[in-house]
Amino acid sequence: MSTIAETARRGQARRRASIDGWRWGGRIFLVFMLLYTALPMIWMLITSIKSGFAAMQFPPQWWPDQPTLASYQKLLDPQNSVGQDFLRFFWNSLFVSTATTILSVIVAVPAAYAFSRFTFPGRNFLFFAVLLRNMFPAVIFLVPLFILMRAIGLVNTHGSLILTYLTFGLPLAIWLLKGFYDNIPVQLEQAARIDGATRFQAFILIVMPLSTPGIIATAIYSFIGAWNEYIYAYTFLSKNEQLTLPVGIQRFFSENTTDFPGLMAASFMMSVPVVVLFLVLQRYFVRALTEGAVKH
Amino acid sequence: MAHVVLKDLVKTYGSFKAVNEVSLTVNDGEFVALVGPSGCGKTTTLNLIAGLIPMTSGDIVIGDRVVNELDPKDRDIAMVFQNYALYPQKSVYMNLAFPLQMRKLRRDEIDRKVREAARVLDMTQLLERKPRELSGGQQQRVALGRALVRDPAVFLMDEPLSNLDAKLRVQMRSEIKRFHQDLKATIVYVTHDQLEAVTMADRMAVMNGGYLQQYDSPAQVFAHPANMFVASFVGSPAMSLIPLEASTANGDTVLTSAEGWTLQLSQLNARKVQRATTKKVVLGARHSTIKLHKSAVHGAIPAKAYTVEPTGDVTFVQAFLSGAIVNISVPPNIAVKPDEQIWLEFDQERIHLFDGETEMALEAN
Repeated sequence: MSTIAETARRGQARRRASIDGWRWGGRIFLVFMLLYTALPMIWMLITSIKSGFAAMQFPPQWWPDQPTLASYQKLLDPQNSVGQDFLRFFWNSLFVSTATTILSVIVAVPAAYAFSRFTFPGRNFLFFAVLLRNMFPAVIFLVPLFILMRAIGLVNTHGSLILTYLTFGLPLAIWLLKGFYDNIPVQLEQAARIDGATRFQAFILIVMPLSTPGIIATAIYSFIGAWNEYIYAYTFLSKNEQLTLPVGIQRFFSENTTDFPGLMAASFMMSVPVVVLFLVLQRYFVRALTEGAVKH
Repeated sequence: MAHVVLKDLVKTYGSFKAVNEVSLTVNDGEFVALVGPSGCGKTTTLNLIAGLIPMTSGDIVIGDRVVNELDPKDRDIAMVFQNYALYPQKSVYMNLAFPLQMRKLRRDEIDRKVREAARVLDMTQLLERKPRELSGGQQQRVALGRALVRDPAVFLMDEPLSNLDAKLRVQMRSEIKRFHQDLKATIVYVTHDQLEAVTMADRMAVMNGGYLQQYDSPAQVFAHPANMFVASFVGSPAMSLIPLEASTANGDTVLTSAEGWTLQLSQLNARKVQRATTKKVVLGARHSTIKLHKSAVHGAIPAKAYTVEPTGDVTFVQAFLSGAIVNISVPPNIAVKPDEQIWLEFDQERIHLFDGETEMALEAN
């Protein structure tokens, strides 16, 4: 008897030891990942509050002797020409990204729902055709799309960028959302339809609230994609007043000197909307809304 | 409440016929179970009645209306799903209120009906909870509540008990039966569990391969299965079906096994066998109608016990006869060991005879 209990205890102890080993390995890995992602950001922040001279010193000042917010003031000052440019670029980026996001949700939600719920001729073909674009590097489409945009007179408009970002973002958005709809039991809609809802009401009242996390994830994905995109914005737009932030930030590089504090301050402010968006909406990513809906 | 009529109901998916000319009538206030193995078309039939899938041809009447073209919401039905399909983002109260809100009832009326339904199902204290905070039995009760809050013409239930554990299933079984008796509700109930059908339903529709095999009271289906499928599906353990060959010599009709033994038939059974299309006849016997002897008896057939399963009340013995498994139940005080030689005696009054070709039950008249 006692030997059995003992063996069991020893087995348990061994299991606990190996679990602990893995757990510590995981923690060390996470710390490493944290440093890997956070250190450049921290360095960006530190540089942005240095003076231009301090930023170029070697060995570097780990913490600036005279921290200054001058770069931020310059960027946010509408009287200053740098500030005017920055605010305009910021606004342009916000407009293009928001429009892309809204349009992609408007298109992706019904498309994904249809792919998930309906069978129609050519369904599989269409579904994989949607992915075709993603099988090639984006750069391949640069010249063809430019020619196309010129032909339909969209070069030097934000419309050209919104259209392009949609074609890039939609496939994944549709795939992502379809996965969400696939996981919502069809019986929920059936129950709603029997309870007196039309098919459309069942979608709006029952399915939409359940797929909110998916829609938000999709929206963030399209927003970030559009917000950070550089090469198409650089190619399609040439007028200064239309540029988006990633292209506009280049203005801080000049022939002889680079205003590193200004560049870092602009980069930091460019990352603010994305970070804020993420912090505000991240709970939707983790919320397991469908838990308890059905018994598996 | 209302009656339901299915007339020549057909549902095909491409070349696959899921439901094949099913016709049946569910009377007002009747509890009908659609029962059969997976893929037999019972759930498809239920979904056709609900209007969740379009039918290929036929007619569905609920009450006095042909509802073929009507949306589910206009058919005046309520449905309980196997996975309950509770709206996860809504509280129990809002789950119950949803069908009433969709019908644009006044707020105070909704409140009254929801509380009444909650009282009937004894879950007033659960109204503010979310479905995920409920146990399986409670979820199942909310699903039932959502169906009955609206007072529909017909209740459709799609395997509502199959996700519950065994003990709770027995309890909910009697609750649903009670619910039917109290409300005089018309219920169409889908299950793969013949025991549920037999214990709960007024009439059971046994389906297989998209065809309606037999539609009758559980007692009738049990006593007079229409064919070999129904015979083997209803009852537990299943009816033993032994393939034999009929022959007549000197005016006596006997069934002969490939193993060499013969079984002489009574006058009535002989008449039944004469109606068979070929010589192939299948002998059917339920476990309780076969007598087990431990020594040779006139008319008894020798066999070897294969497995012995004591259950407490009775002991089930399995044996091979003519290549078929035969189930026999014996009182627990009779000890049988595996591989022991036994003799089986069939009760002429209570055996079933089936045509070996058509698999249909053979009747004397």
